[in-house]
Formats: sequence, C-alpha cells, structure tokens
Amino acid sequence: MNLWVFASMKKYFQLSKLTLQEYFVYRLNFVLWRFRSFVFFLTLLFFWLAIYGDRTALLGYERAKMLAYVVGVAFLRSFVLGSRSADLAGQIRSGELTKILLCPIGMFSFWLTRDVVDKLLNLFFTFLEIGIAVYFLRIPFYFPQRTETYLFFALLLVLALFLYFFVSFFLSAFAFWTEEIWATRWLFGIIFLEFFAGAYFPIDVLPGWLQGMINLTPFPYLVFFPLKIWLEQLSAATAIKGILICGLWLIIFYRLANLLWQKGAKNYGAFGG
Amino acid sequence: MPVIEVKSLKKFYQVHKKEPGLIGSLKSLVARKYEDVKAVDNISFEIEEGELVGFIGPNGAGKTTTLKCLSGLLYPTAGVVSVLDFNPWDRKAAFLKQISLVMGQKNQLWWDLPAMETFILNKEIYEVPETQFEETLGELVKLLEVEDVLKIQVRKLSLGQRMKCELIAALLHSPKVLFLDEPTIGLDVVMQKKIRDFIKEYNRRKKSTIILTSHYMGDVKELCQRVIIIDKGKIVFDGQLSEIVEKYADHKVLSVVFGKEIDPKKLSEIGEVKEYSFPKAVISVRREAVSVAAAELLQHFPVADLNVEEVPIEDIIREVFSGKDLA
Ligand SMILES: Nc1ncnc2c1ncn2[C@@H]1O[C@H](COP(=O)(O)OP(=O)(O)O)[C@@H](O)[C@H]1O
Ligand SMILES: [Mg+2]
Repeated sequence: MNLWVFASMKKYFQLSKLTLQEYFVYRLNFVLWRFRSFVFFLTLLFFWLAIYGDRTALLGYERAKMLAYVVGVAFLRSFVLGSRSADLAGQIRSGELTKILLCPIGMFSFWLTRDVVDKLLNLFFTFLEIGIAVYFLRIPFYFPQRTETYLFFALLLVLALFLYFFVSFFLSAFAFWTEEIWATRWLFGIIFLEFFAGAYFPIDVLPGWLQGMINLTPFPYLVFFPLKIWLEQLSAATAIKGILICGLWLIIFYRLANLLWQKGAKNYGAFGG
Repeated sequence: MPVIEVKSLKKFYQVHKKEPGLIGSLKSLVARKYEDVKAVDNISFEIEEGELVGFIGPNGAGKTTTLKCLSGLLYPTAGVVSVLDFNPWDRKAAFLKQISLVMGQKNQLWWDLPAMETFILNKEIYEVPETQFEETLGELVKLLEVEDVLKIQVRKLSLGQRMKCELIAALLHSPKVLFLDEPTIGLDVVMQKKIRDFIKEYNRRKKSTIILTSHYMGDVKELCQRVIIIDKGKIVFDGQLSEIVEKYADHKVLSVVFGKEIDPKKLSEIGEVKEYSFPKAVISVRREAVSVAAAELLQHFPVADLNVEEVPIEDIIREVFSGKDLA
C-alpha cells in the first residue's frame, strides 16, 4: 500500500517538474503575466486610495480594511483563480488532449497537479510583489484577531480552490461542442466570474438586490467570502454557513464537470494524425 | 481468442458545412447545416495475438480513425470494439498500460522540453520498474541512434529525430498491443529500414500484436503477412499480402524524362505506356522485365532521367477496389 502511494506520488512529482520547466522555457511570458497582475493590483490599490482620499471610512468599509481587501484579492487571484486548466479548452480543439487521453492518468489529477504548480509559483511572486508594495506604500495590513478565523479561512480557501477548478473544467468542456471557446471563456470565465466573485471590489458595496442575486451564484465563495472571513466581518455562524454552501457548490460543479466531460468526450475529434 | 475484435464498427464525424465567403458565414450563423462524414463505415475484423497486420488505404480512407477507435480516443458511432478484452472507450488504466498509439503526423512528446523528460514522466505514469526502464531505454536509444538528441527540446528536432523519440516513448512500457500510424513518415531510407527491422524484432520477441499503417509499400511488404485494405471507410481486402502483390503489383513503373522529342509508338515496344507528354513518360513493365526495359530505353532513346518505381500503393488499392475477382 505504502509502496503504491509512493509510486503514484512520483508521477505527480515528475508532472509538476515538467510543468515548472515549461515556465522556464517561456520566461518572458511569465514575467509579462506577473507584470500584468502587478499593474492590476496597483491600479486597484491607487483607485481605492484616491476614492478614500482623507476619509477613514466609506461604503461601510474602513480605509484599512478596504486596502486589506485589495491586497487579499491579489493573493486570492493567484491562489484560487490562477489556473492552467484554462488550457484544456484549447487542447480539446487542437487535439493535443490526445496525448493525455492515451496515458493511464486521470484527467482531473493531471490538470489539478498542473494547477497546483501554477498556483504555488504565482503565489511565490505575489508574496514578493505585495510585500514590496505594502512596504513602500506603508499600507497597514490586517491580521485577524481570533484564532478560529484562520481555520475558517483556510477551510474555505481549499474549498474555493477546488470549486474554481471544477467550474473551470466545466467551462472548458464546452469546447467539445463549440469552436468559440474564447467567447465563452472570456464572458463567463473572466467577466461574470471575476465580477461576481468580488475580484474588483467587495460585493457588499453593491445595492442589496444585486447582492442577493450574486449570492445565489457560486462565485462569491471564490474571493469575496474568504476575504470577509479574513477581515472578521462575518459572525462564526455566517462563516460556517458560507463554508457549507461553498461545499455544496463544489459537489454540484464536480458532478456537472464530470457529466459534461463524459458527454463531451464522445464528441472528441482527436484532431490531427 | 483474438486480441482485437472489431464488429460492424462505424465512426461518422459531424462536420458543419459552410458556404465560402461572408454570405456563407452569415448563413451558417442562422442555420447550421451538418453533414456526416462516414470515416469508418461498418468494418469488421479480428486479429490474433502476435500478428503484425498492415492496414493500408489511400488518404482519408479511415485508417487513423480506426486506430483512434481501437485506442479509446474516439467514441464509435456504432459497433463493438474489444482490445485485450477491454472496451477501449472505458479507458481503464489496466488497458492503457498495455497499449500504445504512435502517430507519425502527431506529436505526443512534451513539445517544449527535451524528450528525456517525457520518457521519465512515462516511466512514472506507466509504473515501469527502474531497471526495466534503463534497459529498454538504453537499447532503444542505441538502436535508433538518438543519444545526442535526448537533451534537446523536442520542438527543435527534425521530423525523423522526433519520430524516433516518439517510438521510444511509446515502447518504454512494453505494450502488448501497438498501433503504429505511419511511423516511418519523414525518415530517410536507412532509418526506415532500421525502424522496420526493429518493429519486426519487437513483434517477434515480445509476441506483441501490431497494426501498422503506412504509405510506403516497402514497410508493409517487409513486415506484414496479412494486410487489410480500406477505402472510403470500408474494407475491400483482408488477407495475405502475397495474394495482393502477386495479383496486383506484378508490374513496376518506369518514369522517364527525355532530352529530345521521340516517337511514342516505339515506346510501346518497351512496355505499356501509361502516360506520355513530352518530355515525360510513364511506362508499366512486368517486374521481371524491368532491367531489360531500362537498358533498352537507355540505349535507344535520348533519356535525360530514368526512375524505376513500385506501382503506387494507391494504384494497387484502386485496382483491388475496382472489383477484379478477389479471393
Ligand atoms: N476529427 C475529424 N472531424 C471531421 N472529419 C474527420 C476528422 N478526422 C478525420 N476526418 C475525416 O474522416 C476521413 C477519414 O480520415 P482518416 O481516418 O484520418 O483517414 P486516413 O488515416 O486513412 O488517411 C477523412 O475524410 C477525414 O477528412
Ligand atoms: Mg491517417
């Protein structure tokens, strides 16, 4: 048993290694990607700094907490929203997926492994970048007071990571039917998802009816909810409820991704060759 | 108990038809027309353990599609496929560990990394024991003469070098069933022969079952006793290669380029003139008369260039397909 676990760990290890090596091949790509993220972070930061001006509170957020939210977004963008599985749709269309389908390795584990590498790498640089910005701009950073906050936060973060993974997988599987993968990806994957997730601003600055609608979707659990927990703006009961709902969404999207994948694979054209 | 069993297999692709031009694009936005491409249309065959079968046919005949169905990549439109008692479509790990599909026209190595990295990944994924890995790798690398290219990014390799690495990657786990789709494409003659010898030896030693498709009659002739000929998605011949070659490839083709205009009538004394338009002529000559015919040509005609070629595989197939009595 132990031996078996070890053997299967080795394949994920080698897969991680290859994934990492690919980044070194396209160093410039990665640097530009980091640059884009950093600029995005600074833009958001300066935007809120300008809005607040001399005020200490606005829209129900203290200045320090809003800044902490912005910093938190940068962090969660890497940890939750960073992903390699976005390549999946392209591989379905190009037939590159064939290579993986022929290997005795699970689709989910293959992409999850690559995702984790992507997340860790980006996280490392995000820490550096944010560290620099926080230091030079003297941004007060918020650390939770209660210990259970860390537990809730960590728990929701893991759930959010998997939820995003399966949502992303689900969206990618549409490539089995349509050629217009970028349209779906861009509209649902970027605009809706990031907006509803609260990756631009906290959702609770929006009017109540809109908040109510957004809360019916799985997206706020990716960014907004974890950050609200971190900022300790939720009661323990609300936090636990949020974690449970996120878990529910996770199960739903796990099922949906599986279903769509199984149906879609029958449409796979295995182009090329 | 056959290793591969195919019964009434069909694979139709749905492709959407678009008229050319902007109007066509607009029309297809409103009402999409779909059409079935019958890539494989009701084929059946069985292959026993250890057989090395040549799968031939013109471009677009459905060879690759069949192999993709056999390796579980494509979902059959209809019919039953069984390989090693598995339904390939289930893509069970136990099944995938025993097969390999090599496609000459498609890269399966990690494009941006050296081939060695793919080998190591395959070793882990297929759970090949270290010693077996070292042994097989060493043997293959030496045989295919790729010692120098293992550390070079795959994208920078020549087609031939890449193809050899593809073969190695596919063989490291010693598959029982091997699907080779044009494995010698883009290789020089010497390498083609090496790979052929290697496939033959592999088949003999490991008792593995192999289906090979190729454009080169040479590959098929040298390796396979049994061939399956497929055209337009249907099997038109399944039997011993010797039957076909005797029946249909008893001629060779002389392509000649003349330096000066000649009398085409005289040419027909050499053999059957298939084509003549100055300066080129194509003459079909019985196999055993080739050297005599070539000598005659060179002596009596202003020959600028002369080539002796096998009857193109497509021609043989066309002949077979045109329904001359088949056994
Ligand atoms: N993914 C696909 N989608 C639509 N049509 C395809 C696809 N793959 C192959 N075809 C068509 O199916 C037919 C058979 O192709 P293929 O099996 O590749 O032939 P072969 O390997 O014998 O040259 C061809 O007409 C080809 O255009
Ligand atoms: Mg083909």
